[in-house]
Amino acid sequence: MIETLGQKTIDSVVNLGNFSRFTAKTYGAMAQTLFKPRTYPLIWAQMYTIGVQSVPVVMATGAFVGMILAIQAYGQLASMGLEERLGVLINIAVVKELGPVLAAVMLAGRVGGALTAELGTMNVTEQIAAVQSMGTNPIRYLVAPRVLACLLLTPFLIIYADLLGILGGYVISVVQLKINAGAYWNYSAIGVEMWDICTGILKGFFFGGAIALISCYKGFNCREGAQGVGEACTEAFVGCFISILALNYIFAVVLDAVYKTFWPVRSLL
Amino acid sequence: MPRKIVQPEDGLIVAQNLTKQFGDRVILDNISLAVEKGKTTVIIGPSGCGKTVFMKHLIVLERPTEGSVYFKGKRIDDKEERHLAHIRTQFGFCFQMGALFDSLTVYENIIFPVEQHYKVTDYKALADMVKQKLAMVGMDGFQNYYPASLSGGQKKRVSLARAIALNPEVILYDEPTTGLDPITSDVINELVIKLKRELAVTSIVVTHDMNSAYKIADRIIMFHQGRIIADGNADEIRNHPHDVVQQFIHGRVGEAELAALRLGGTKFETQFLPEDFE
Repeated sequence: MIETLGQKTIDSVVNLGNFSRFTAKTYGAMAQTLFKPRTYPLIWAQMYTIGVQSVPVVMATGAFVGMILAIQAYGQLASMGLEERLGVLINIAVVKELGPVLAAVMLAGRVGGALTAELGTMNVTEQIAAVQSMGTNPIRYLVAPRVLACLLLTPFLIIYADLLGILGGYVISVVQLKINAGAYWNYSAIGVEMWDICTGILKGFFFGGAIALISCYKGFNCREGAQGVGEACTEAFVGCFISILALNYIFAVVLDAVYKTFWPVRSLL
Repeated sequence: MPRKIVQPEDGLIVAQNLTKQFGDRVILDNISLAVEKGKTTVIIGPSGCGKTVFMKHLIVLERPTEGSVYFKGKRIDDKEERHLAHIRTQFGFCFQMGALFDSLTVYENIIFPVEQHYKVTDYKALADMVKQKLAMVGMDGFQNYYPASLSGGQKKRVSLARAIALNPEVILYDEPTTGLDPITSDVINELVIKLKRELAVTSIVVTHDMNSAYKIADRIIMFHQGRIIADGNADEIRNHPHDVVQQFIHGRVGEAELAALRLGGTKFETQFLPEDFE
Protein backbone atom coordinates (compact mmCIF):
# COMPACT_ATOMS: atom_id res chain seq x y z
CA MET A 1 0.00 0.00 0.00
CA ILE A 2 2.83 2.38 0.90
CA GLU A 3 4.48 1.46 -2.40
CA THR A 4 1.29 2.30 -4.33
CA LEU A 5 0.88 5.57 -2.45
CA GLY A 6 4.52 6.49 -3.12
CA GLN A 7 4.18 5.61 -6.80
CA LYS A 8 1.02 7.71 -7.11
CA THR A 9 2.76 10.65 -5.43
CA ILE A 10 5.73 10.37 -7.78
CA ASP A 11 3.39 10.11 -10.79
CA SER A 12 1.51 13.23 -9.65
CA VAL A 13 4.70 15.22 -9.22
CA VAL A 14 5.99 14.07 -12.62
CA ASN A 15 2.65 14.94 -14.20
CA LEU A 16 2.68 18.39 -12.62
CA GLY A 17 6.25 18.96 -13.81
CA ASN A 18 5.32 17.90 -17.35
CA PHE A 19 2.26 20.15 -17.30
CA SER A 20 4.38 23.09 -16.12
CA ARG A 21 6.86 22.52 -18.95
CA PHE A 22 4.00 22.20 -21.43
CA THR A 23 2.55 25.49 -20.12
CA ALA A 24 5.90 27.27 -20.37
CA LYS A 25 6.42 26.00 -23.94
CA THR A 26 2.88 27.07 -24.85
CA TYR A 27 3.37 30.61 -23.54
CA GLY A 28 6.66 30.83 -25.46
CA ALA A 29 4.90 29.63 -28.62
CA MET A 30 2.02 32.07 -28.01
CA ALA A 31 4.43 35.00 -27.85
CA GLN A 32 5.94 33.89 -31.19
CA THR A 33 2.48 33.40 -32.71
CA LEU A 34 1.40 36.94 -31.79
CA PHE A 35 4.31 38.39 -33.77
CA LYS A 36 3.71 36.25 -36.86
CA PRO A 37 0.72 37.49 -38.88
CA ARG A 38 0.98 34.33 -41.01
CA THR A 39 -0.38 32.33 -38.09
CA TYR A 40 -3.36 34.62 -37.45
CA PRO A 41 -5.73 32.57 -39.66
CA LEU A 42 -5.20 29.62 -37.29
CA ILE A 43 -6.27 31.82 -34.37
CA TRP A 44 -9.33 33.17 -36.24
CA ALA A 45 -10.43 29.62 -37.04
CA GLN A 46 -10.12 28.58 -33.39
CA MET A 47 -11.84 31.76 -32.22
CA TYR A 48 -14.82 30.85 -34.39
CA THR A 49 -14.99 27.28 -33.05
CA ILE A 50 -14.21 28.05 -29.43
CA GLY A 51 -15.78 31.49 -29.07
CA VAL A 52 -18.52 32.18 -31.60
CA GLN A 53 -20.03 28.70 -31.54
CA SER A 54 -20.13 28.74 -27.73
CA VAL A 55 -22.22 31.93 -27.52
CA PRO A 56 -25.67 30.23 -27.54
CA VAL A 57 -24.91 27.71 -24.77
CA VAL A 58 -23.19 30.31 -22.61
CA MET A 59 -26.11 32.72 -23.07
CA ALA A 60 -28.60 30.01 -22.17
CA THR A 61 -26.55 29.16 -19.05
CA GLY A 62 -26.50 32.81 -17.96
CA ALA A 63 -30.23 33.30 -18.57
CA PHE A 64 -31.22 30.25 -16.53
CA VAL A 65 -28.94 31.24 -13.66
CA GLY A 66 -30.60 34.68 -13.43
CA MET A 67 -34.10 33.22 -13.70
CA ILE A 68 -33.52 30.52 -11.08
CA LEU A 69 -31.97 32.99 -8.64
CA ALA A 70 -35.04 35.21 -8.97
CA ILE A 71 -37.44 32.34 -8.28
CA GLN A 72 -35.44 30.93 -5.34
CA ALA A 73 -34.62 34.21 -3.58
CA TYR A 74 -37.98 35.91 -4.01
CA GLY A 75 -39.75 33.89 -1.30
CA GLN A 76 -37.06 34.60 1.31
CA LEU A 77 -36.86 38.31 0.57
CA ALA A 78 -40.63 38.80 0.24
CA SER A 79 -41.21 37.28 3.70
CA MET A 80 -39.07 40.11 5.11
CA GLY A 81 -40.59 42.73 2.81
CA LEU A 82 -37.29 43.17 0.97
CA GLU A 83 -38.36 41.89 -2.45
CA GLU A 84 -37.22 45.11 -4.14
CA ARG A 85 -33.67 44.17 -3.16
CA LEU A 86 -33.93 41.08 -5.34
CA GLY A 87 -32.09 42.94 -8.13
CA VAL A 88 -28.93 43.51 -6.14
CA LEU A 89 -28.87 39.90 -4.96
CA ILE A 90 -29.31 38.47 -8.44
CA ASN A 91 -27.00 40.86 -10.23
CA ILE A 92 -24.11 40.72 -7.80
CA ALA A 93 -24.28 36.92 -7.69
CA VAL A 94 -24.37 36.74 -11.48
CA VAL A 95 -21.58 39.20 -12.35
CA LYS A 96 -19.26 38.25 -9.52
CA GLU A 97 -19.49 34.48 -9.23
CA LEU A 98 -22.18 32.50 -11.00
CA GLY A 99 -21.85 34.06 -14.46
CA PRO A 100 -18.06 33.58 -14.76
CA VAL A 101 -17.94 30.17 -13.05
CA LEU A 102 -20.89 28.57 -14.81
CA ALA A 103 -19.89 30.01 -18.21
CA ALA A 104 -16.40 28.57 -17.64
CA VAL A 105 -17.82 25.19 -16.62
CA MET A 106 -19.99 25.16 -19.72
CA LEU A 107 -16.91 25.98 -21.81
CA ALA A 108 -14.92 23.24 -20.09
CA GLY A 109 -17.56 20.75 -21.19
CA ARG A 110 -18.08 22.07 -24.71
CA VAL A 111 -14.64 23.31 -25.69
CA GLY A 112 -12.40 21.35 -23.33
CA GLY A 113 -13.92 18.01 -24.31
CA ALA A 114 -13.67 18.83 -28.01
CA LEU A 115 -10.04 19.99 -27.74
CA THR A 116 -8.95 16.88 -25.86
CA ALA A 117 -10.81 14.54 -28.21
CA GLU A 118 -9.44 16.28 -31.32
CA LEU A 119 -5.82 16.44 -30.17
CA GLY A 120 -6.04 13.00 -28.56
CA THR A 121 -7.23 11.45 -31.82
CA MET A 122 -4.48 13.32 -33.68
CA ASN A 123 -2.01 11.92 -31.17
CA VAL A 124 -3.07 8.27 -31.47
CA THR A 125 -3.22 8.47 -35.29
CA GLU A 126 0.32 9.94 -35.33
CA GLN A 127 -0.84 13.26 -36.81
CA ILE A 128 1.00 15.20 -34.09
CA ALA A 129 4.17 13.20 -34.83
CA ALA A 130 3.58 14.01 -38.53
CA VAL A 131 3.48 17.76 -37.75
CA GLN A 132 6.72 17.36 -35.82
CA SER A 133 8.36 15.24 -38.53
CA MET A 134 7.80 18.04 -41.05
CA GLY A 135 9.83 20.44 -38.93
CA THR A 136 6.88 22.27 -37.37
CA ASN A 137 6.56 22.72 -33.65
CA PRO A 138 3.22 21.03 -32.79
CA ILE A 139 2.77 23.26 -29.74
CA ARG A 140 3.07 26.38 -31.91
CA TYR A 141 0.81 25.01 -34.64
CA LEU A 142 -1.81 23.16 -32.59
CA VAL A 143 -1.78 24.40 -29.01
CA ALA A 144 -0.89 28.12 -29.12
CA PRO A 145 -3.83 29.16 -31.39
CA ARG A 146 -6.30 27.18 -29.28
CA VAL A 147 -5.06 28.57 -25.97
CA LEU A 148 -4.94 32.12 -27.36
CA ALA A 149 -8.48 31.85 -28.71
CA CYS A 150 -9.82 30.43 -25.46
CA LEU A 151 -7.93 32.90 -23.28
CA LEU A 152 -9.02 35.95 -25.28
CA LEU A 153 -12.64 35.00 -25.82
CA THR A 154 -13.67 33.56 -22.45
CA PRO A 155 -14.00 37.08 -20.93
CA PHE A 156 -16.34 38.05 -23.78
CA LEU A 157 -18.37 34.91 -23.26
CA ILE A 158 -18.61 35.81 -19.58
CA ILE A 159 -19.99 39.22 -20.59
CA TYR A 160 -22.68 37.42 -22.61
CA ALA A 161 -23.47 35.15 -19.65
CA ASP A 162 -23.65 38.17 -17.31
CA LEU A 163 -25.92 40.10 -19.66
CA LEU A 164 -28.32 37.23 -20.09
CA GLY A 165 -28.20 36.46 -16.35
CA ILE A 166 -29.18 40.07 -15.58
CA LEU A 167 -31.88 39.99 -18.25
CA GLY A 168 -33.24 36.61 -17.06
CA GLY A 169 -33.39 37.85 -13.45
CA TYR A 170 -35.09 41.06 -14.56
CA VAL A 171 -37.74 39.29 -16.66
CA ILE A 172 -38.74 36.93 -13.85
CA SER A 173 -38.57 39.58 -11.11
CA VAL A 174 -40.35 42.41 -12.91
CA VAL A 175 -42.60 40.68 -15.40
CA GLN A 176 -43.57 37.54 -13.49
CA LEU A 177 -43.14 38.53 -9.82
CA LYS A 178 -44.33 42.14 -10.40
CA ILE A 179 -41.48 43.89 -8.56
CA ASN A 180 -41.23 47.64 -9.25
CA ALA A 181 -38.72 48.04 -12.10
CA GLY A 182 -37.34 51.39 -10.90
CA ALA A 183 -36.62 50.09 -7.41
CA TYR A 184 -35.16 46.88 -8.86
CA TRP A 185 -32.59 48.78 -10.94
CA ASN A 186 -31.90 51.44 -8.28
CA TYR A 187 -30.92 48.90 -5.65
CA SER A 188 -28.90 47.01 -8.28
CA ALA A 189 -26.99 50.17 -9.26
CA ILE A 190 -26.16 50.89 -5.62
CA GLY A 191 -25.12 47.33 -4.81
CA VAL A 192 -23.19 46.31 -7.92
CA GLU A 193 -19.95 48.20 -8.45
CA MET A 194 -17.75 48.41 -11.51
CA TRP A 195 -15.17 46.49 -9.47
CA ASP A 196 -17.51 43.47 -9.23
CA ILE A 197 -18.13 43.42 -12.97
CA CYS A 198 -14.45 43.84 -13.86
CA THR A 199 -13.22 41.13 -11.50
CA GLY A 200 -15.79 38.72 -12.92
CA ILE A 201 -14.55 39.41 -16.44
CA LEU A 202 -10.89 39.30 -15.36
CA LYS A 203 -11.42 35.76 -14.11
CA GLY A 204 -12.31 34.82 -17.67
CA PHE A 205 -8.70 35.15 -18.85
CA PHE A 206 -7.52 32.70 -16.23
CA PHE A 207 -10.43 30.28 -16.60
CA GLY A 208 -10.04 30.30 -20.39
CA GLY A 209 -6.28 29.75 -20.18
CA ALA A 210 -6.72 26.90 -17.69
CA ILE A 211 -9.41 25.17 -19.77
CA ALA A 212 -7.39 25.27 -22.99
CA LEU A 213 -4.06 24.33 -21.40
CA ILE A 214 -5.41 21.38 -19.43
CA SER A 215 -7.46 20.09 -22.37
CA CYS A 216 -4.59 20.38 -24.86
CA TYR A 217 -2.15 18.79 -22.39
CA LYS A 218 -4.47 15.82 -21.85
CA GLY A 219 -4.96 15.47 -25.61
CA PHE A 220 -1.20 15.52 -26.24
CA ASN A 221 -0.55 12.89 -23.60
CA CYS A 222 -3.48 10.54 -24.05
CA ARG A 223 -2.99 6.80 -24.21
CA GLU A 224 -3.48 4.68 -27.30
CA GLY A 225 -6.91 3.64 -28.54
CA ALA A 226 -10.50 4.75 -28.18
CA GLN A 227 -10.42 4.08 -24.44
CA GLY A 228 -7.32 6.27 -24.08
CA VAL A 229 -9.03 9.20 -25.81
CA GLY A 230 -12.18 8.70 -23.70
CA GLU A 231 -10.17 8.63 -20.46
CA ALA A 232 -8.25 11.75 -21.51
CA CYS A 233 -11.54 13.62 -22.14
CA THR A 234 -12.87 12.65 -18.73
CA GLU A 235 -9.61 13.60 -17.00
CA ALA A 236 -9.53 16.90 -18.90
CA PHE A 237 -13.07 17.86 -17.87
CA VAL A 238 -12.51 16.92 -14.23
CA GLY A 239 -9.17 18.77 -14.24
CA CYS A 240 -10.74 21.87 -15.81
CA PHE A 241 -13.68 21.85 -13.38
CA ILE A 242 -11.47 21.52 -10.28
CA SER A 243 -9.10 24.20 -11.63
CA ILE A 244 -11.96 26.61 -12.24
CA LEU A 245 -13.22 26.16 -8.68
CA ALA A 246 -9.71 26.40 -7.19
CA LEU A 247 -8.85 29.49 -9.27
CA ASN A 248 -12.16 31.04 -8.25
CA TYR A 249 -11.32 30.50 -4.59
CA ILE A 250 -7.85 32.05 -5.05
CA PHE A 251 -9.46 35.01 -6.82
CA ALA A 252 -11.98 35.45 -4.01
CA VAL A 253 -9.17 35.65 -1.42
CA VAL A 254 -6.79 37.81 -3.45
CA LEU A 255 -9.37 40.21 -4.86
CA ASP A 256 -10.98 40.65 -1.46
CA ALA A 257 -7.59 41.62 -0.01
CA VAL A 258 -6.96 44.01 -2.91
CA TYR A 259 -10.43 45.56 -2.53
CA LYS A 260 -9.95 46.11 1.21
CA THR A 261 -6.53 47.64 0.66
CA PHE A 262 -7.82 50.16 -1.85
CA TRP A 263 -11.19 50.80 -0.15
CA PRO A 264 -10.05 54.00 1.65
CA VAL A 265 -8.69 55.54 -1.56
CA ARG A 266 -11.54 54.32 -3.74
CA SER A 267 -12.87 57.80 -4.48
CA LEU A 268 -9.42 58.89 -5.70
CA LEU A 269 -9.26 55.99 -8.15
CA MET B 1 26.99 -11.35 -35.14
CA PRO B 2 30.17 -9.34 -34.33
CA ARG B 3 29.43 -5.75 -33.43
CA LYS B 4 30.81 -3.21 -35.91
CA ILE B 5 32.26 0.08 -34.75
CA VAL B 6 30.71 2.90 -36.77
CA GLN B 7 31.94 6.46 -37.04
CA PRO B 8 29.76 9.54 -37.68
CA GLU B 9 31.31 9.94 -41.16
CA ASP B 10 30.53 6.36 -42.23
CA GLY B 11 27.17 7.22 -43.78
CA LEU B 12 24.54 9.88 -44.38
CA ILE B 13 22.75 8.83 -41.18
CA VAL B 14 24.62 7.05 -38.45
CA ALA B 15 23.31 5.51 -35.25
CA GLN B 16 26.06 4.85 -32.73
CA ASN B 17 25.51 2.48 -29.78
CA LEU B 18 21.82 3.40 -29.70
CA THR B 19 19.89 2.11 -26.69
CA LYS B 20 16.28 2.90 -25.90
CA GLN B 21 14.40 1.87 -22.80
CA PHE B 22 10.76 2.48 -21.92
CA GLY B 23 10.77 1.99 -18.16
CA ASP B 24 12.50 -1.34 -17.56
CA ARG B 25 11.80 -2.61 -21.06
CA VAL B 26 14.79 -2.47 -23.43
CA ILE B 27 13.50 -1.72 -26.95
CA LEU B 28 16.82 -1.05 -28.69
CA ASP B 29 19.97 -2.62 -27.34
CA ASN B 30 23.22 -0.96 -28.42
CA ILE B 31 22.44 -0.59 -32.12
CA SER B 32 25.18 0.75 -34.38
CA LEU B 33 24.31 1.35 -38.01
CA ALA B 34 25.45 3.58 -40.87
CA VAL B 35 22.98 4.29 -43.69
CA GLU B 36 24.59 4.89 -47.07
CA LYS B 37 23.59 7.84 -49.22
CA GLY B 38 21.40 7.11 -52.24
CA LYS B 39 20.68 3.51 -51.21
CA THR B 40 17.51 1.83 -50.03
CA THR B 41 18.04 0.22 -46.63
CA VAL B 42 15.28 -2.09 -45.48
CA ILE B 43 14.86 -2.96 -41.82
CA ILE B 44 12.97 -6.19 -41.22
CA GLY B 45 11.98 -7.98 -38.07
CA PRO B 46 9.02 -9.33 -36.16
CA SER B 47 6.40 -6.98 -34.70
CA GLY B 48 7.59 -5.28 -31.52
CA CYS B 49 11.31 -5.73 -32.23
CA GLY B 50 11.96 -1.96 -32.20
CA LYS B 51 12.07 -1.21 -35.96
CA THR B 52 9.70 1.77 -35.87
CA VAL B 53 11.20 3.12 -32.64
CA PHE B 54 14.62 2.96 -34.28
CA MET B 55 13.40 4.85 -37.34
CA LYS B 56 11.82 7.54 -35.15
CA HIS B 57 15.25 8.08 -33.57
CA LEU B 58 16.71 8.93 -36.98
CA ILE B 59 14.49 12.02 -37.18
CA VAL B 60 14.62 12.62 -33.39
CA LEU B 61 10.92 11.94 -32.83
CA GLU B 62 12.31 9.76 -30.03
CA ARG B 63 15.43 10.52 -27.98
CA PRO B 64 17.83 7.67 -27.14
CA THR B 65 18.40 6.52 -23.58
CA GLU B 66 22.04 6.04 -24.53
CA GLY B 67 24.05 6.46 -27.73
CA SER B 68 23.83 9.03 -30.47
CA VAL B 69 22.47 9.75 -33.94
CA TYR B 70 24.39 11.64 -36.63
CA PHE B 71 23.13 13.21 -39.85
CA LYS B 72 25.76 14.31 -42.37
CA GLY B 73 28.41 13.79 -39.70
CA LYS B 74 26.75 16.07 -37.15
CA ARG B 75 25.13 14.85 -33.98
CA ILE B 76 21.38 15.55 -33.96
CA ASP B 77 19.85 13.57 -31.08
CA ASP B 78 20.97 16.12 -28.47
CA LYS B 79 19.66 19.18 -30.33
CA GLU B 80 16.77 21.24 -28.99
CA GLU B 81 13.46 21.05 -30.84
CA ARG B 82 13.83 24.50 -32.40
CA HIS B 83 17.17 23.53 -33.95
CA LEU B 84 15.72 20.33 -35.40
CA ALA B 85 13.20 22.03 -37.72
CA HIS B 86 15.74 22.62 -40.51
CA ILE B 87 17.12 19.09 -40.21
CA ARG B 88 13.65 17.55 -40.35
CA THR B 89 12.85 19.39 -43.59
CA GLN B 90 15.54 17.23 -45.22
CA PHE B 91 13.56 14.12 -44.28
CA GLY B 92 10.22 12.84 -45.50
CA PHE B 93 8.41 10.48 -43.15
CA CYS B 94 5.68 8.14 -44.39
CA PHE B 95 3.72 6.96 -41.39
CA GLN B 96 2.24 3.47 -41.17
CA MET B 97 -1.38 4.67 -41.30
CA GLY B 98 -0.60 7.71 -43.44
CA ALA B 99 -1.10 10.22 -40.59
CA LEU B 100 -2.82 12.61 -42.99
CA PHE B 101 -4.49 15.57 -41.29
CA ASP B 102 -8.13 14.57 -41.47
CA SER B 103 -9.43 18.14 -41.14
CA LEU B 104 -7.53 19.17 -44.29
CA THR B 105 -8.02 18.17 -47.92
CA VAL B 106 -5.38 16.24 -49.87
CA TYR B 107 -4.24 19.54 -51.43
CA GLU B 108 -3.95 21.26 -48.03
CA ASN B 109 -2.11 18.24 -46.62
CA ILE B 110 0.54 18.45 -49.31
CA ILE B 111 1.06 22.21 -49.11
CA PHE B 112 1.27 22.02 -45.30
CA PRO B 113 5.07 21.57 -45.05
CA VAL B 114 5.65 24.14 -47.80
CA GLU B 115 3.51 26.79 -46.10
CA GLN B 116 5.18 26.08 -42.78
CA HIS B 117 8.67 26.78 -44.07
CA TYR B 118 8.23 29.22 -46.95
CA LYS B 119 6.29 32.42 -47.46
CA VAL B 120 4.09 31.41 -50.38
CA THR B 121 3.06 34.17 -52.77
CA ASP B 122 2.71 32.27 -56.06
CA TYR B 123 -0.26 29.98 -55.43
CA LYS B 124 -0.40 28.94 -59.10
CA ALA B 125 3.11 27.48 -58.83
CA LEU B 126 2.12 25.82 -55.57
CA ALA B 127 -0.91 24.20 -57.21
CA ASP B 128 1.37 22.97 -60.04
CA MET B 129 3.76 21.53 -57.48
CA VAL B 130 0.92 19.66 -55.76
CA LYS B 131 -0.29 18.36 -59.12
CA GLN B 132 3.20 17.14 -59.98
CA LYS B 133 3.76 15.43 -56.62
CA LEU B 134 0.34 13.76 -56.78
CA ALA B 135 1.00 12.68 -60.38
CA MET B 136 4.23 11.01 -59.20
CA VAL B 137 2.22 8.80 -56.87
CA GLY B 138 -0.68 8.38 -59.32
CA MET B 139 -3.15 10.46 -57.32
CA ASP B 140 -3.59 13.60 -59.45
CA GLY B 141 -7.23 14.67 -59.43
CA PHE B 142 -7.76 13.87 -55.74
CA GLN B 143 -6.75 17.36 -54.56
CA ASN B 144 -10.14 18.24 -53.07
CA TYR B 145 -10.80 14.91 -51.34
CA TYR B 146 -10.64 14.55 -47.59
CA PRO B 147 -8.53 11.65 -46.21
CA ALA B 148 -11.64 9.97 -44.77
CA SER B 149 -12.92 9.32 -48.30
CA LEU B 150 -9.70 7.63 -49.48
CA SER B 151 -8.80 3.93 -49.29
CA GLY B 152 -5.79 2.67 -47.27
CA GLY B 153 -3.53 2.50 -50.33
CA GLN B 154 -4.60 5.94 -51.53
CA LYS B 155 -3.86 7.42 -48.10
CA LYS B 156 -0.37 5.93 -48.18
CA ARG B 157 0.25 7.35 -51.64
CA VAL B 158 -0.93 10.82 -50.58
CA SER B 159 1.23 10.50 -47.48
CA LEU B 160 4.16 9.76 -49.79
CA ALA B 161 3.33 12.82 -51.91
CA ARG B 162 3.33 14.94 -48.74
CA ALA B 163 6.63 13.41 -47.64
CA ILE B 164 8.30 14.48 -50.92
CA ALA B 165 6.75 17.97 -50.95
CA LEU B 166 9.94 19.60 -49.67
CA ASN B 167 12.20 17.51 -51.97
CA PRO B 168 13.86 15.68 -49.05
CA GLU B 169 17.19 13.90 -49.23
CA VAL B 170 15.96 11.02 -47.12
CA ILE B 171 12.57 9.28 -47.09
CA LEU B 172 11.62 7.11 -44.13
CA TYR B 173 8.85 4.58 -44.75
CA ASP B 174 7.13 2.94 -41.79
CA GLU B 175 5.58 -0.33 -42.97
CA PRO B 176 4.43 1.09 -46.32
CA THR B 177 2.73 -2.11 -47.52
CA THR B 178 1.12 -3.30 -44.27
CA GLY B 179 -2.63 -3.80 -44.58
CA LEU B 180 -2.68 -3.44 -48.36
CA ASP B 181 -3.71 -5.99 -50.97
CA PRO B 182 -0.84 -7.59 -52.97
CA ILE B 183 -1.37 -5.42 -56.05
CA THR B 184 -1.52 -2.15 -54.13
CA SER B 185 1.53 -3.31 -52.15
CA ASP B 186 3.41 -3.77 -55.40
CA VAL B 187 2.32 -0.30 -56.54
CA ILE B 188 3.88 1.11 -53.38
CA ASN B 189 7.06 -0.94 -54.00
CA GLU B 190 7.30 0.47 -57.51
CA LEU B 191 6.80 3.96 -56.09
CA VAL B 192 9.67 3.51 -53.65
CA ILE B 193 11.90 2.36 -56.52
CA LYS B 194 10.69 5.20 -58.75
CA LEU B 195 11.36 7.86 -56.12
CA LYS B 196 14.84 6.50 -55.54
CA ARG B 197 15.54 6.48 -59.30
CA GLU B 198 14.01 9.85 -60.15
CA LEU B 199 14.83 11.87 -57.04
CA ALA B 200 18.02 10.02 -56.01
CA VAL B 201 16.81 9.91 -52.43
CA THR B 202 18.17 7.78 -49.62
CA SER B 203 15.39 5.51 -48.40
CA ILE B 204 14.97 3.65 -45.15
CA VAL B 205 12.06 1.23 -45.11
CA VAL B 206 10.73 -0.61 -42.09
CA THR B 207 8.69 -3.64 -43.09
CA HIS B 208 7.94 -7.27 -42.38
CA ASP B 209 6.84 -7.93 -45.94
CA MET B 210 9.68 -10.02 -47.41
CA ASN B 211 8.48 -9.73 -51.04
CA SER B 212 8.66 -5.97 -50.68
CA ALA B 213 12.06 -6.13 -48.95
CA TYR B 214 13.64 -8.29 -51.70
CA LYS B 215 12.23 -6.08 -54.41
CA ILE B 216 13.29 -2.65 -53.15
CA ALA B 217 16.32 -3.23 -50.94
CA ASP B 218 19.97 -2.51 -51.64
CA ARG B 219 20.66 -3.64 -48.11
CA ILE B 220 18.52 -5.56 -45.62
CA ILE B 221 19.01 -5.41 -41.87
CA MET B 222 17.16 -7.69 -39.51
CA PHE B 223 16.27 -6.66 -35.96
CA HIS B 224 15.46 -9.20 -33.29
CA GLN B 225 14.79 -8.34 -29.65
CA GLY B 226 16.26 -4.88 -30.12
CA ARG B 227 19.49 -6.03 -31.74
CA ILE B 228 20.79 -6.40 -35.30
CA ILE B 229 21.13 -10.09 -36.11
CA ALA B 230 21.61 -9.90 -39.89
CA ASP B 231 22.96 -7.31 -42.30
CA GLY B 232 23.52 -7.78 -46.02
CA ASN B 233 22.00 -7.68 -49.50
CA ALA B 234 18.95 -9.74 -50.49
CA ASP B 235 21.02 -12.84 -51.40
CA GLU B 236 23.03 -12.71 -48.21
CA ILE B 237 19.84 -12.52 -46.17
CA ARG B 238 18.27 -15.40 -48.13
CA ASN B 239 21.28 -17.57 -47.31
CA HIS B 240 21.86 -16.30 -43.80
CA PRO B 241 22.80 -19.09 -41.37
CA HIS B 242 20.91 -17.69 -38.35
CA ASP B 243 17.79 -19.78 -37.55
CA VAL B 244 15.68 -16.76 -36.56
CA VAL B 245 16.47 -15.09 -39.91
CA GLN B 246 15.50 -18.21 -41.86
CA GLN B 247 12.29 -18.62 -39.85
CA PHE B 248 11.37 -14.99 -40.42
CA ILE B 249 12.06 -14.81 -44.15
CA HIS B 250 10.21 -18.09 -44.78
CA GLY B 251 7.37 -17.21 -42.38
CA ARG B 252 7.94 -20.42 -40.41
CA VAL B 253 6.91 -20.81 -36.80
CA GLY B 254 9.79 -21.60 -34.42
CA GLU B 255 10.16 -24.48 -31.98
CA ALA B 256 9.79 -22.10 -29.01
CA GLU B 257 6.46 -20.75 -30.32
CA LEU B 258 5.21 -24.30 -30.98
CA ALA B 259 6.15 -25.29 -27.44
CA ALA B 260 4.20 -22.30 -26.12
CA LEU B 261 1.17 -23.38 -28.17
CA ARG B 262 1.39 -26.91 -26.80
CA LEU B 263 1.44 -25.55 -23.25
CA GLY B 264 -1.98 -24.02 -23.96
CA GLY B 265 -3.58 -27.47 -23.55
CA THR B 266 -4.65 -30.39 -25.65
CA LYS B 267 -6.96 -29.94 -28.60
CA PHE B 268 -9.86 -31.42 -26.63
CA GLU B 269 -9.38 -29.10 -23.64
CA THR B 270 -9.42 -25.96 -25.75
CA GLN B 271 -12.76 -26.83 -27.40
CA PHE B 272 -14.96 -25.04 -24.88
CA LEU B 273 -18.68 -24.83 -25.52
CA PRO B 274 -20.75 -21.81 -24.47
CA GLU B 275 -22.72 -23.93 -21.96
CA ASP B 276 -19.46 -24.74 -20.11
CA PHE B 277 -19.57 -21.18 -18.74
CA GLU B 278 -23.09 -21.38 -17.35
